[in-house]
Formats: sequence, structure tokens, C-alpha cells
Amino acid sequence: MADPLSCKETTWLVSEARERALSSEERQNLAEHIATCTFCQGASRQFEVLFKEIDNYLGNSRSEKAAQK
Amino acid sequence: MDAQLRKSIAEEAAEYRPMLYRMALIQLKNADAAEDATQETLLAAVEKAVTFEARSSLRTWLFAILRFKILDIMRDQSKSRKFNSPLPTDDRGIDDYETGAFDVLFDTNGCWLDAKDPWTNPQTVAEQEAFFKVLEACMTRLPARTSRAFLMREWLELEPSEICAKLGISHGNLRILLYRARMQLRLCLDLNWERT
Repeated sequence: MADPLSCKETTWLVSEARERALSSEERQNLAEHIATCTFCQGASRQFEVLFKEIDNYLGNSRSEKAAQK
Repeated sequence: MDAQLRKSIAEEAAEYRPMLYRMALIQLKNADAAEDATQETLLAAVEKAVTFEARSSLRTWLFAILRFKILDIMRDQSKSRKFNSPLPTDDRGIDDYETGAFDVLFDTNGCWLDAKDPWTNPQTVAEQEAFFKVLEACMTRLPARTSRAFLMREWLELEPSEICAKLGISHGNLRILLYRARMQLRLCLDLNWERT
């Protein structure tokens, strides 16, 4: 059982996930923390919108992939 | 017909000139080179007006043209640098690689200090354009070095190792720059974008 994450560490992983696939342990820790923390649920939803619109604005390959779905 | 299309593309594209120039300048760090890249992008857009597909936005199309130009210039620069000019000096500030600026958002245990209200998720084209306006304003407020690393990653889509080599920084430092860019953009949007 890994140490629980803080909100701050959660934001690190959310950023890191844009560069690399998170390990299964990291993904699990992230999911566990977010499930129990309403502040992080709010922040994660904001990051989701932010990242989606950054992709759309820049027209990068992520936005193309999303458009094909 | 063609002439008319070219004219309308030229007029519309001109509105994006300031942002194209800013994006070029961040990457090329030279006003003349940035001006050239901007001008060439606008000319290429007019020249290739007939191939523009209206399903993508004009801005996306212009960004794509500029992206290729910048990648080309970078490739040339890295080739010639090997032979003649020395590596650029490292101009980072002492506080460039600290995440401290965001510590005020968290308590001593690393917990968020306040609740994060959901944002209005842009659905229509008009809402998305409004969001882009705020995003653009927030992006221009990023420190130059942070912005450069961020756009190398998110726009030019270079691999982290390539970005580290170009900027002469370690992988750890790059992670911090990217983290800071994303944290700062979230905070800026949170202050300036509508809530549901």
C-alpha cells in the first residue's frame, strides 16, 4: 500500500501524464486520491477542459485524434 | 473565384498576424526571423488558399504552416551550430526552476486551500472562441522561457529529450517548466473564465 498522495502531488501527476504514460501504481494512487477529494475533483475537471482546449487551439495531433473519434 | 478566395483569406489571416508573430518570436528569439516566418506563413496561406478546408479553422491552419516553418528553421540552426557558432548561453533566472510560486495555493500538507468550481465547458463555436481569447491572453502572460518550453511540447510536439537538448536544460528542469506553465494557465483561466 503506497503513501496516499497530496493534492499538490496529484497536480504533478496530472501534468506528467501529458509527457508519459503513468505507471499502474501512479494511476491507482491518483484515482484513489481524486475519489476522496472534492477539491481535486474540481481541479481535475478544470485541467480536462484546459488540456482539451489547448489541443484545439494549437491544432496539435491530440486534437486531430480527438476529432476522429 | 480564386482571386476572391485569396483576397478573403488574406484579409482574415492578417488578423492572426500578432499572435503568429508572438509564437514565432518565442521560439526563434529574433525579431527579424520571427517577422520573416510570420510573413512567409501569411503568404503561403494566400498561395495555398484553394487547399484550405473550411472544416478546420483558419487559425489552426495558419498555426500548422508556421509550425513547419519553425521546425525547418530549428533544423537548419542545429545543423549550422555544430560547425560554427557556440552553444547559446544559458539565460535562465535563478528562480526559473522552482515550483514555489504555486505553494500559496496549497496548505503545508499539500492540500488545495479552496474549492475548485467547475468551468463552463465550451460547446458552441462562439463559446470556444471566447475561451480561446482568454487562453491566448493567459499564454502571453507566461514567462518567455516557460512559454517556449510549453509550446515546444504542446504545439511543435517535440519529444522531451529534444526540448532538453535545444534549451540546454535537464529533464527535471523541463518537467518543472511544463508543470509551471500548466498550473499558471489553470490559475489564469480560473480567474478569467466563466463558471457554471
